[in-house]
Amino acid sequence: MAHFENPEQKKPMGSISFALKNNLSELDVLCEHLSGFCRSCGVSKRQTFEINLALDELFTNIINHGFTDGDEHHVQVTCVSEDNALKITIEDDGIPFNPTDAPHPNLKCAFKDREIGGLGIHLIRSYMDHIEYRRRGGKNVLVLTKEL
Amino acid sequence: MDITETKHEQYSVFKLDGRLDSNTAMGFEQKLFDCIENGTQRLILDFQDLDYISSAGLRVILKATKNLKSAEGKLVLCAMQDYVKEVFEISGFDSFLPIEATLDDAIKTV
Repeated sequence: MAHFENPEQKKPMGSISFALKNNLSELDVLCEHLSGFCRSCGVSKRQTFEINLALDELFTNIINHGFTDGDEHHVQVTCVSEDNALKITIEDDGIPFNPTDAPHPNLKCAFKDREIGGLGIHLIRSYMDHIEYRRRGGKNVLVLTKEL
Repeated sequence: MDITETKHEQYSVFKLDGRLDSNTAMGFEQKLFDCIENGTQRLILDFQDLDYISSAGLRVILKATKNLKSAEGKLVLCAMQDYVKEVFEISGFDSFLPIEATLDDAIKTV
């Protein structure tokens, strides 16, 4: 007898997907969606802060450097709760940018030589356990994994 | 984010309430540099009610610290949540910024 699976049942228990416009004011929307989702999954406040910070740095980077045409764009954020981990996918149709290739900032240099460049990606690397990038269908697709 | 500035004879205190991110950093930078340009060279940032900071906030603090050091001024931070403090540590900012546990300690240091 053929067995038909209900696709709804294959969906993970907890997931959320939302689109952000290419405007920094959307950071508040990001925070709101993420906080609600993390609360429903029982993620601690501290880890919610760390995930929010990583996504903020990435989103800010996309808004500041990703688009050159002045048009409205959407950045799609999808969070999936897995066993002991949160997997977050961020997709944008901006210029190709692979954050995993970005140089590491020099944190040990003399104070007068300290620069802010690269710090955002350093924070993403510090707070996330796994980062994977690919360019697919004219989009940057970044998958971040945070172990809980 | 709400910013409350309190002027004292020898120093000024900026109390930040809310989220310091790339959306709010520019307003904060404006207020901080208005104060520095008006001649205040000893500043305290009170982070008691600061819930969040991103690298956009760190950028403003780095810029202000550089500006004040060249004028022999001083910037002291205090009363951070532990997860906010960790952002400063991961970024290596704790190596050049005084971070005090309480506002009272910061007043003694500034």
